[in-house]
Amino acid sequence: MSLSPHTTPSGFLLPSIHSAPPFFTQQPNPATQAIVEEQWIRLLLSYARHRKLFTLRVDDSEDKGGEWDEVLRNERINRRIQSAYLSKLIAKLVEKNVAAYDPPRQTRSVLVYWRLPEEWAETLHQWADSTGQMNTILTFYEITDPPVPSPLSNVPLPLLRTAITILAKTNRAQIIAIPDGEGVRFFPSK
Amino acid sequence: MALRRYTTTIDGTIPAEALLYSDEELIGSQDSVGIYDGPQKSPEHQDGIVYVTSHRLFYVDAKYPETRSFALDLAAITQTESFAGLFMSSPKVTIHISSEISLSTQEHPPADNDLGGFDTWECQVCAYRNPPGLSPAAARVCGLCGVPREAIPTTTPGSSSHTNTRRLSASLPSSGLASPSRPSGGSTPISQEQPDQPDPISCPACTFLNYPSLKRCEMCDTQLPRPSRGRKEMKSAPSSRPASPVQDGDPAFNFIRLSFRKGGDKVFYGYLKRALKSKVWEGRKYATNTQNLSGNSRPTRPQVGISGILNTVESSAQGREDNIKDALQDLEALMVKAKDMVRLAAELNEKLTAASTSQSRSVSPYPGSTSSTFSGTPLSSSTTLVSGSEPEEATFIRSSLSQLGLQLDNTPVTQDMMKDEHKWLDELARELAHILQGSRYDHAKKGMMRERGIIALDEAWGGWNRARGVALIPPSTFLQVLPLLPQYTEPSITQRKFASGFTVLHTPPYSRTAFGTRLSEFLVSNGPKTTMDIAIAEGLAIALVREMIEAGEQDGDFCRDDVGEAAISGGGSGTGVEVRWWPNVFAGYVWDVQVVGD
Repeated sequence: MSLSPHTTPSGFLLPSIHSAPPFFTQQPNPATQAIVEEQWIRLLLSYARHRKLFTLRVDDSEDKGGEWDEVLRNERINRRIQSAYLSKLIAKLVEKNVAAYDPPRQTRSVLVYWRLPEEWAETLHQWADSTGQMNTILTFYEITDPPVPSPLSNVPLPLLRTAITILAKTNRAQIIAIPDGEGVRFFPSK
Repeated sequence: MALRRYTTTIDGTIPAEALLYSDEELIGSQDSVGIYDGPQKSPEHQDGIVYVTSHRLFYVDAKYPETRSFALDLAAITQTESFAGLFMSSPKVTIHISSEISLSTQEHPPADNDLGGFDTWECQVCAYRNPPGLSPAAARVCGLCGVPREAIPTTTPGSSSHTNTRRLSASLPSSGLASPSRPSGGSTPISQEQPDQPDPISCPACTFLNYPSLKRCEMCDTQLPRPSRGRKEMKSAPSSRPASPVQDGDPAFNFIRLSFRKGGDKVFYGYLKRALKSKVWEGRKYATNTQNLSGNSRPTRPQVGISGILNTVESSAQGREDNIKDALQDLEALMVKAKDMVRLAAELNEKLTAASTSQSRSVSPYPGSTSSTFSGTPLSSSTTLVSGSEPEEATFIRSSLSQLGLQLDNTPVTQDMMKDEHKWLDELARELAHILQGSRYDHAKKGMMRERGIIALDEAWGGWNRARGVALIPPSTFLQVLPLLPQYTEPSITQRKFASGFTVLHTPPYSRTAFGTRLSEFLVSNGPKTTMDIAIAEGLAIALVREMIEAGEQDGDFCRDDVGEAAISGGGSGTGVEVRWWPNVFAGYVWDVQVVGD
């Protein structure tokens, strides 16, 4: 009965609740379920942050050996989350604005905002500033796949576009159409 | 002679009701009737009872019922006349009989000879076994599906005349049809063909052998070569070369008279007229006709086809319902009687008690409950208690009463004993408490809940009513009594309703909070358990335990681990792996990991 935290092979420290079998079952009692969902969301977000995972799909619950495997399954207690339950949790994530359906108009996969779009916007601006790329036109590719790894490496394009849109609202960036697609120019903040 | 020719002998010793076909009805009767055969008195039939039924007319001779009684088919009657009587002449009813008995009447065989009419037969279409005893017209078609009865194939046409061959004579070509002779069993065979008959006339066009009196051919309506005295002829059967049925007799004597020696002719004539008018023997529209005939007739519809089957089902269901209603009424009457008996017993008991107390002034060992002491204690002790003071008869009566189970102690509380409803409900609650917990003084008497802390409502209700025996408590009253129960019970018994609507009575250890706490402790010390494990540990029914745990789950006491659903291996929905119950591990959970990085 005594539950203890557990460190996964990827170095993530799972909370002790992850070792409780009831954690993987939907609880009919709404009050209990609310607590469980809160723990799940916290767990999913922190794991995504740890592994820098951006996409969570309902199918990940069935996908043995997938990148979410360490949290969606617990081989030690022989439990895994059901896709129906995960789907519900995903809906909860979107409801709490810590994820967005991507692509839109479906509910099977989400972009997980382990940083909020506003935080991403700040990170992006800081990165441009620190790498001295103010007033330079950058392609999206140059941002998401820079020669020197950055916090923004592998950021999905929809998230990047959202962040740039946020910056554009405060006149710190501008989207520019270029022959190969789109580009962005950052301006120093005033 | 008309009488001899058109009537059949019956055994008058049999009551008229027993002679009827099953679809025939007796309409009326008149005694002291004499018969005239034609214009003359028939010396053998001068005093008898005449019955008229929906199908026939019976004469049962008063002196020689066995030999001189006869029956006459109403179908043969063409017209009737009434004569009111004059001076010494009695009132008379003249019955004219058709000299040419129609084909359908010929098919009415004498009842005592007709094997078909008094034998069951199976319909070839629907395999329904038609019961015997139907009138000839009704017996010709299947009672269930309405399909005409088939000829019995074993009867060879032309062979000595079995009645069955005639059944379909209208449609079956058969060489024997031209002269379907009557079965010889009857004492008065109706002769169809007599040797002195003139030769039939062969039609020049179709060669059909027509009856000599016809002007035109029956088949093709061609003028016949030798027109003779004409009379409308009935259709004859289409067959190879059948001849028309032969006629005989003098129409002047084709009547009989009923002479009413002691009156009653008017009424009887009315009966006869009605029977003739309704033509029940034709086998159709029983319903309207029989209703006209007699008021008490049941509304029968033609039992034909699917509607017939449905009718049969409907009527049998109706019959069953009536039976049940009757039975319930009987029961109610019995209950009233039982109540009387109980009251009588109570009165008797009171009287005896009063007599004995005044006589001996003996003080009961239980002050204030004299009567209940005497009657409530077992027989032996009551005998010893009262034997010294009561006369032997009183003791005997008392012991008899207690042997019958009519002790005052057992008398159920009924509403008429109580003045107002509150008092009544209070008394009921006290009684129920007694049933549930047994006597407080007498530990040999165990109540329903002495051993158990929780009991389903239906069981409590059933047990209470069984204990009462009479004046049963309806569920509504039972539910009214339940809120009063805690006042009369020790430990207090309360009602509890689960989410599913399942309701129980329970003692304090089974209340929501007490059970929740107990089970939580149990789970913490013993680890997660299935519903089954908990039911075993608690000694309760599984369904009940499930209800209780789910109630606890609603309170947040427990949480579930759906092993069947959530297991990686060995689970899977439908494998029957049970849910395991955990104490609520989530409530008050503190995130015990400090996430590093980021």
